[in-house]
Amino acid sequence: MLGDVVTAGRLAALSMAIALGAIGAYLLLFRVAVVRNHPEGYVIAFAVATAVAGLALARSRRWPAWLALGVTTLLLAGGAWFNFVVARVPDTPTMLRVGERPPDLILPDAAGRPVSLADYRGKKPVVVVFYRGYW
Amino acid sequence: MSEAERAGIEVVAVSPDPSERSQTLADGLHLGYRFLADPDLAATRRWGLVQPRGGPEGQDVPRPATVVVDRDGIVRWFSVSRNFQVRPDPGDVLRAVRAL
Repeated sequence: MLGDVVTAGRLAALSMAIALGAIGAYLLLFRVAVVRNHPEGYVIAFAVATAVAGLALARSRRWPAWLALGVTTLLLAGGAWFNFVVARVPDTPTMLRVGERPPDLILPDAAGRPVSLADYRGKKPVVVVFYRGYW
Repeated sequence: MSEAERAGIEVVAVSPDPSERSQTLADGLHLGYRFLADPDLAATRRWGLVQPRGGPEGQDVPRPATVVVDRDGIVRWFSVSRNFQVRPDPGDVLRAVRAL
């Protein structure tokens, strides 16, 4: 009986460690392309953590298992919602075709001088990066 | 990317942000990027790269995208994110640039 409780406590701790470790690893390794580009990884980790918490609860219905299950379930629901709903960008058509000229781009630089993509034509290739910025 | 390669191409970063702030940040990091401001997203919209009501307050936002344009002004490669947490693999962009 005591053994069951200890195991359940350890499973609950393991569950929390997996969930919090996934958050820490994602934030810490955000600049690593393979981590950043697989955000579903944290959702999978939360799912595993939730399953482990469920296992803990099956062993012993004491508070550590309930706490672990509560925390991991919230993280799983929140993480899945963020990754699959909030972060989703609809795949609508763009004006870009490989082998064709893109629409021109004339915008002010940091000094307020207008810069045109056409200025680079015949001079050097350009990598144009569109990003959301910080609102 | 090596210095030589960086010297041979221009990286132009477009966002609705005021470019002064981004440029100061990039210059501090010696990134050599050129920041352009598109506050009303007019140019971004012409490229078909606006996500309507995609922002937290329901405002239109740019779709994260990377476009490789060659010396003749022709699109050679591009990638548009389908999840705003995801960006193209730098290796893929480098390969596209080296293939020019």
